[in-house]
Amino acid sequence: MISEYNMSSRGANTSLFGAVDKLALGLYIAIVLIGVMCITSASYEPESANIFSLSHNYMKQIMWLAISSVVATVVLLLDRRLFHMFAYPVYIAGILMLLGALFFGREVNGAKAWFEFGSVRIQPVEFVKIATALMMARIMSDYAFNIKRLPDLIKVAAVIILPFGIIVLQNDTGSGLVLGAFLFVLYREGLTKYIYFPIIFTVVLFVAALIFDPVVIFITLLVMFTLYNMFKTRELFGHIRFFCLVVLLSLLLTLTTPLSGYASLMVVCGVAAVVLAVLALKTRTLMLLWPIAMFVYAMLFVPLADSLFSHLEPHQKNRILTFVGLVDDPRNVGYNVNQSKIAIGSGGMWGKGFMEGTQIKYDYVPEKHTDFIFCIVGEEWGFVGSFIVVALYAALILRLMRMGERIKEPFGRVYCYSVAAILLLHVLVNVGMTIGLMPVMGIPLPLMSYGGSSLMAFTILIMIAIRLDASTSEKDIYSSL
Amino acid sequence: MSRYKILQILVGAIGVIILIRLFSMQILSDEYDVKATKNIVRTEVEYPMRGEVLDRNGEYLVKSRVCYDVMVIYREIPKTGFDTMRLATILEITPEALKKKLKAAALSPRAPTLVTNYLSQDNKLLLDEGDFKGFHTRFRTAREYPRKIGGNLLGYVSEVRDEDVRKWEYYEVGDYIGVGGVESAYEAMLRGEKGVSYRIYDSYGALKGEYNDGMDNILPVKGSQLTSTIDARLQEFAEELMVGKIGAVVAIEPSTGEILIMVSSPTYDPDLMVGRQRNNNYAAMLHNQRQPQFNRAVKAKYPPGSTFKLVQGLIGLQEGVLKASDRYPCSMGFSYGSRKMACHAHSSPLNLRDAVAHSCNAYFCYVFRDMITNSKYGSVKEGVRVWNDYVYSFGFGRKLGTDQYGEGTGYVPTPEYYDKGYNNSWNWGTVISCAIGQGEMGCTPLQMANLAAIVANRGYYYIPHIIKKIEGRDSIDSRFYERQYTLVDSIHFVPIVEGMWRGVNVAGTSGKARLEGWDVCGKTGTAQNPNGADHSTFLSFAPKDNPKIAISVYVEHGGFGASIALPIASLIEELYLTDTITRPKMVEDVLNFRPNYTRNYDAKQQRYDQKRQQSKK
Repeated sequence: MISEYNMSSRGANTSLFGAVDKLALGLYIAIVLIGVMCITSASYEPESANIFSLSHNYMKQIMWLAISSVVATVVLLLDRRLFHMFAYPVYIAGILMLLGALFFGREVNGAKAWFEFGSVRIQPVEFVKIATALMMARIMSDYAFNIKRLPDLIKVAAVIILPFGIIVLQNDTGSGLVLGAFLFVLYREGLTKYIYFPIIFTVVLFVAALIFDPVVIFITLLVMFTLYNMFKTRELFGHIRFFCLVVLLSLLLTLTTPLSGYASLMVVCGVAAVVLAVLALKTRTLMLLWPIAMFVYAMLFVPLADSLFSHLEPHQKNRILTFVGLVDDPRNVGYNVNQSKIAIGSGGMWGKGFMEGTQIKYDYVPEKHTDFIFCIVGEEWGFVGSFIVVALYAALILRLMRMGERIKEPFGRVYCYSVAAILLLHVLVNVGMTIGLMPVMGIPLPLMSYGGSSLMAFTILIMIAIRLDASTSEKDIYSSL
Repeated sequence: MSRYKILQILVGAIGVIILIRLFSMQILSDEYDVKATKNIVRTEVEYPMRGEVLDRNGEYLVKSRVCYDVMVIYREIPKTGFDTMRLATILEITPEALKKKLKAAALSPRAPTLVTNYLSQDNKLLLDEGDFKGFHTRFRTAREYPRKIGGNLLGYVSEVRDEDVRKWEYYEVGDYIGVGGVESAYEAMLRGEKGVSYRIYDSYGALKGEYNDGMDNILPVKGSQLTSTIDARLQEFAEELMVGKIGAVVAIEPSTGEILIMVSSPTYDPDLMVGRQRNNNYAAMLHNQRQPQFNRAVKAKYPPGSTFKLVQGLIGLQEGVLKASDRYPCSMGFSYGSRKMACHAHSSPLNLRDAVAHSCNAYFCYVFRDMITNSKYGSVKEGVRVWNDYVYSFGFGRKLGTDQYGEGTGYVPTPEYYDKGYNNSWNWGTVISCAIGQGEMGCTPLQMANLAAIVANRGYYYIPHIIKKIEGRDSIDSRFYERQYTLVDSIHFVPIVEGMWRGVNVAGTSGKARLEGWDVCGKTGTAQNPNGADHSTFLSFAPKDNPKIAISVYVEHGGFGASIALPIASLIEELYLTDTITRPKMVEDVLNFRPNYTRNYDAKQQRYDQKRQQSKK
């Protein structure tokens, strides 16, 4: 997709416009225009006297688009060193805005995460993404920074966790999870891969604990544990014997004592874990210690999962339970997803056509112009349209990563990766939600969902990346000044 | 592999997973297409207007008025709720009842559930104005009865029962169907054809247009209008005269078989079977031991009493065992063996004509005895069998084949019946009471009216019917246009008609039925029964030549035929023939006349009420 020829030809340009990555800019513009078209379809009223009135959502979005273009131009004209310089103040300002919203903000849909100026509502979290990205880039581009050192890692973690904590307090956990995108960046920057495995393991355990009986989970883990050992030690009967022993002992315990099946299994597994750990240490088969540790972790985490879950907000619980299929709630959460799937699924190959989507036109999809805007793509433009939109996003994300790679200094690279990661997570969660692959989280589809602050924030986010990328080629212009 | 590569692959993989999912949903699966159409399109039954029924003069007997069912789709009620009080007021139900209905609707939140029915057009407009989301109306028609007559005659309209839905493909739960009377007999014509419409609704339940521009819709077809043979004014008058009396009045136009009046008394206001109170009204009628919903005119089995002597005489003449000039003595009755069939005081001996006029019991006992014991049959049993055939030919003991719903057969005893009941040992004495329409004989009032028509026609009848014209058809069923001949030749009717004329106009039991200038013919009947006073009955037709009306009146426990049945019949004839009532005193007497029902119905009612009270406790 990215030709070396393209890269080298860039260098020849000396004007700012010439230096700007036109592919990234083009993808940005394409996605934004598709977004405006979808919003028009969602909010067009043929009976309306003045179709250009600002009371229409699509006109508002076009207005925001105009403002965003101005802002984009300004961002592109700024000195790249400014971003480096202002990373700290911007981050602090972002945190203060979050706190401000928490204490003085307005509550919308249960989340106290909004500022209101007249008819304009702004969600600080949109801008905090920019601030955090800049801050990450700033910290990780420091001379002495080494991601493999614990103090530096803690610094990075603090930069992410501070805004995340405030967002959770605002009761807007869905938006907060977007900050998890930085794990993507950290991986690129060399964070040990062993951190990712426990995270994935924990998520899987959490979902499993909601769906399955703990006994089932532990028997499954036990089987996996046994298979792993068989594979690693290339031995068969000893492990099968061990497996049977654990199961039989647990059964015996259940039948002879008042203990429940779950409790018996835990007791036997606990004893077995200790015995195995001791044996492993003695025989120096240290590779056994990892799975034992994970098993013990599961034994501690599964009982915790339930109580963790019970601390969630009711609407969050509902969304998760609906997603995993434990609750059939077609009137509330399930209704949105169900209608969204119907809209997209009924699009077929070519879609029903512009403004012809029945699910959209007749208001069966809630939040069709905001969080569920992908339904309009799916229903009115079919698989072809969906394919194009998904491909555009993928191309933009990959392009941002490519830009990050070609910027030689870490600041620009970390920043570009952050933008790519934020976009990736948004697209994955948002599109995934509309097609039932992800639980419902109230986060917008970048550049497409209706909403001024979201469009503005993503514009700035991407334009800074383009600006930083452009600097690599016109370094000489500034240095010669 | 560099981490850049791995992350590129990750991004690509996520994209591919999303696209695979999209592909399977959009291209591979039809599930969502179907659901999307189901979402917006609501299949609605379009109910046709039910056909009306006119009387013979073009006056409405049954009208259809527009009303609405109110339906709710629970899912579409806004979560913010609505003004319950206001809606309840518009629907004219209590807020409690409304809440109860909503609770029931919540059980199937996507299906339209009935909230209430019979909403008037005005209230429907109020409901539309109120913009109650989730609620919509369904066009229906309800029956309306301008004269409030003919309860049993017309039948009523009711929601279909489950067995109807199972039995007939046409009906679905919630449809209406005619029950009893004309409504039931002509259901297929009255109901019309249901239509279907496919309409698009948005998620708020607002109508957005016709699906596929209405190309798939099927318009409902209005039910046919029926023209009845009933004379509404006469029917109303007859019902009025029968108030407080249990029995039936049936009048027929002899030259066509058209039923002019058909009263089953007690009757009920057919409007009681329409509207929200119908269930209560229905239950009240069910508990009434006088059985207002029992259509006595076509179902009851009454002993015909002396009116049957006409048939007896005719059979005797046809079989040659009797000549019109034959005289039989009567000394206050007819003695056979140790028993005696009593008669009243009149001159003796009489010929056939005068025996009819004076209603002599003994005379017809002789006739009957002479017939069935005649040697040409070989045995009494065979004699009775021949007699049976004659009686059947007069329409007794079988269905006449009218268009009346639930027509009864009456009963005519057969040799087999006597064999069984008397263990094969019986003789003419056993059956002699049949001669005067007593004993086991049972006739419906319709059959008796038909007998009057047969005599009026001198030997034949047209099958009595109640509908003479169906909108959109050239004719009614061909059987109603065919003469049905009895086994008795026309010539033999002369002395019988003469006797009936004399009984009214010269000397006899029917003198009060005389109408100046109309040559009324009549025959009284006084039927003994084990439940109380005698039943009063009267058969008549007028005028003697080219008769215009044949009528039978039967009043349970009304005493002598001349006491109540006769004046009722006479007043109806007068009104029909002359358009006036000249005997107000007679009207008053009839209206004030109350048979004594203490031994029969009142006692029954008392026992029934006691039983109900006990079972309630």
